[in-house]
Amino acid sequence: MATPTTARGTRLSPEEIGFLTAGPGRAAEAALARLLDAGLIRVSRDGLVSAVHQNGHGATTPIEARILTQLRKPVPFSAVVRNTANSAEMRALQQDLRGRRLTRSPRPRLGAWWVFLVIGSFLALAAITEPWLLIGTAGFLVFAWWSFGAKPLTRAGRAALEGVTTSDRVLAVALEGFRGKISGRPVADLFGLPQNVVGKLPRKKKRAAGSAAASSGGCGSCGSGCGGSSCGSSSSCSGGSSCGGGGGGCGGGGGGD
Amino acid sequence: MAGIKDLGVGIGWRSEIDLTVERLPGVDFVEVVAENLHIGHLPESVTLLLERGVPVLPHAVSLSLGGAEEVDLHRVEHLGAVAEAVGAPMVSDHVCFVRAGGLDSGHLMPVPRTRDALDVLVANVKLAQRNLPVPLALENVAALLEWPDGELSEGQFLAELVERTDCWLLVDVANLYANARNIGTDPERFLDEIPLERLAYVHVAGGEQHGDIYHDTHAHAVLPEVLGVLDELCSRVAPPGVLLERDDNYPSDTEIADELAAIRAVVDKHRG
Repeated sequence: MATPTTARGTRLSPEEIGFLTAGPGRAAEAALARLLDAGLIRVSRDGLVSAVHQNGHGATTPIEARILTQLRKPVPFSAVVRNTANSAEMRALQQDLRGRRLTRSPRPRLGAWWVFLVIGSFLALAAITEPWLLIGTAGFLVFAWWSFGAKPLTRAGRAALEGVTTSDRVLAVALEGFRGKISGRPVADLFGLPQNVVGKLPRKKKRAAGSAAASSGGCGSCGSGCGGSSCGSSSSCSGGSSCGGGGGGCGGGGGGD
Repeated sequence: MAGIKDLGVGIGWRSEIDLTVERLPGVDFVEVVAENLHIGHLPESVTLLLERGVPVLPHAVSLSLGGAEEVDLHRVEHLGAVAEAVGAPMVSDHVCFVRAGGLDSGHLMPVPRTRDALDVLVANVKLAQRNLPVPLALENVAALLEWPDGELSEGQFLAELVERTDCWLLVDVANLYANARNIGTDPERFLDEIPLERLAYVHVAGGEQHGDIYHDTHAHAVLPEVLGVLDELCSRVAPPGVLLERDDNYPSDTEIADELAAIRAVVDKHRG
């Protein structure tokens, strides 16, 4: 599996790219994708995932090791993603990314934006008759900005994702998720996974502005290249014979080693 | 049925490896465990394989045809219904018993190779055949013991069974190897004694040695020695089909493909 070098020279694993793109769930999906790509896990039509080897063989990260450990017995696909996203190993990855100043510390957030709108409107209207409430209104606006204005990625985090493309099917998952599409083709198809298998995964928007290049070129435009049997069971598309070689091929632009 | 049509090389379909079986190159036919299928809602994967024209053969494990108790016709009817649902040219089970006195063994138990036991087996097989829509093939089992006072060798026993019932034979070369290891039987003598013209197809499987006992686990790699028995069989007759059985501890797709390729190489070697 390629470890792409980003525009700033940062080396990010698919898990890290997934995390920076859409959080711990996407990182878990990226780890699953890497294991699938390497033939270390198997998915059945009814969505059960199992490890090919019972001894954790082949794991390259603590998150992958965690996944393989829980797959000694078949586990539903969505449960693997959920369990992994909530694991201690994922929290360690989160802390690592924060330590590298690629993400910010999470702030307490109120999910319902309309609550802010109602309180803000009430304070603004009340300030017409009670001018001293303008101070409270201003304070509330600052709090609202602090709460909502905080992007999870730092500038360095966004920059780290620049230039990362869906150059192979693992990166396609990291950037778009198993439920995403590349050039109209479902990402799950790249792994031969039926839609019912990935259908229970949450759809999540990308949160990083820096991944705008994600869907350009890459697997989706390669047609049968990335997801088909030509690359499917080998290490990754970027290393496969039919995809990675030429400049115009799949994976030519994304870098890799 | 004049003869079994050429089936090629196949693999046992299991739900855990359904996508693998669908993707594997060179799978000419598959076998399904009949007891695991429900008429009316076949697994999507099996339906897909049928649509591709891949023959699907039902294999039963519970008819207990070697048992002294009456054959459970519901089980036979289910096997027949599965055969009709998948359009199978034949079905199969084992020369064994799996229950007695109200108890299920959970294992394919060998039948005593006596004339009395053969009479019982023949009667049960004929009853099953009358209630099946397609021909029945019967498989030799791996035995960890031999009943005392046997009157016939395993090959003679099966040859007489074929002669009296007109059934087909499903020869498991891994079981022949296991029996050679565990109870000292001779696979070549077995192959000499059975009517090879009644060979329906062949099973190949992996196993593991534990202490003094070789276990036919279907959960380990196929040993070269088992392929050697297949080679011996193929030197005598071109088997209509050869099928890899794997029931647990499934290896990677690549490893399964390699095992199928190894089987095919043995078969092709003798086809020139």
